Amino acid sequence: MVAFRNTEASGRTTGLLLRCVLYSLLALGLIIFDKRYDHVGQIRRFLSVVAYPVQVAVASPFEGWDWFRESVSSRETLRADKAKLEAELRLANFRLQRYEALEAESQRLRALRDNTADVANRFVVGDIMDLDIDAFRERVLVDKGARDGVFVGQAVLDAGGVFGQVARVEELTSEVILVSDAAHAIPVQVNRNGLRTIAVGTGDMSRLKLPYLSTSADVIAGDLLVTSGLGGGFPAGYPVGTVAEVKRDPAQSLAEVEVRPAAALDRSREVMFVWLKPDAAPAPAPPAAAAPPPPHQGAPKK
Amino acid sequence: MMRDNRVRRLPMALSALVALALAVIPLPAAVDALRPDFLVLVVFYWSIESPRAGGLALAFIAGLALDVIRGVVLGQHALALTLMAAWATHLRLRLRVFSVLSQSLTIFALLTGYQFVLFWVDGATGSPVTTFSRWLAPVIGALIWPLLAGVLSRLHDH
Repeated sequence: MVAFRNTEASGRTTGLLLRCVLYSLLALGLIIFDKRYDHVGQIRRFLSVVAYPVQVAVASPFEGWDWFRESVSSRETLRADKAKLEAELRLANFRLQRYEALEAESQRLRALRDNTADVANRFVVGDIMDLDIDAFRERVLVDKGARDGVFVGQAVLDAGGVFGQVARVEELTSEVILVSDAAHAIPVQVNRNGLRTIAVGTGDMSRLKLPYLSTSADVIAGDLLVTSGLGGGFPAGYPVGTVAEVKRDPAQSLAEVEVRPAAALDRSREVMFVWLKPDAAPAPAPPAAAAPPPPHQGAPKK
Repeated sequence: MMRDNRVRRLPMALSALVALALAVIPLPAAVDALRPDFLVLVVFYWSIESPRAGGLALAFIAGLALDVIRGVVLGQHALALTLMAAWATHLRLRLRVFSVLSQSLTIFALLTGYQFVLFWVDGATGSPVTTFSRWLAPVIGALIWPLLAGVLSRLHDH
């Protein structure tokens, strides 16, 4: 039974309306300024530093439990893990054998076409913080921020392929929007024939879709999709996913294509931030406080 | 009077912090959509129980905290929470004598209003969330309200 005590001396509400209007106007002002101008960036950055301890405090017990479970895992588990990793490494090495030669050949061909490729040149690994940011959007918080030179729009990869891109940068953390977020789209190319299109998120971590392919487009289940590098945000040639199913309804002009993402969107715990081209890479950020956000894609700010 | 207010602030701040932590604690994806807005319920409770100790300031600050943690446009949750906390404060004398059922129904209305403001700001700023699951939160919140209010009132007594 819930009972509130009538401890209040007088039901004084004078000023309630006034204060309500005041705070609401303040909030509305914040919304407008945040949306239209970048004036509140400093406020937001300051607030996020204040919120950081809360985020760490919530995430650390879960990370601690994982750590504990790992450290008491049995010898058999470790041996099985080791065997699995060795097998993976053998396979990766096998695939790598021809990589150098192919890379050189590719550079040579591109030089012939006077076309410089976007080459990923610096990686920084970040840990995904164990937090649910928003139940309705596919986003994760990563423990690298402006201090490490992360910038908005930066490509983020995991071991399997393209993971997403940076949506927001704070001082110590950054928010990454997954490729599967309903608001995310990424330019891709069918690896088999070079067909270019756009992969759009569905809001479901296990699915992407290609909504802009006609029913006659040459795409079949099992096709590998890689980033096309168009648009400049992502380096070219990284796997985005494989086509799982193609539905062609003759009555429709567009095919329904479903894609399984290559990155382990729901299982990854570490992701890589990628810097393209050498001149776009900001100097390895010194831990100096209040460093300005690094220039985006080499375009000098100001 | 001043002493009185000061005494009340501690459980208020404490419960708000715990609720903030509960808002981001990782849950399995299936349960995640069913997560009630703990912080909102806590703010409602204090708006009803002792509006002069924190009231709208608490609502505004809690809203800002949610904005920062969720990474949405700054002021969205603050606006929604301020408006609904003001409404709760306005209704508080009636709410205190309501039966549990009527209280839960009122809380449901307040939570729905809260979601609606969020929904509206989402749309106005060009990042709409159109899944229906967001309208589930008010139902869960109203169901959990008697329990939460009981716990908070216990905390308040100490």
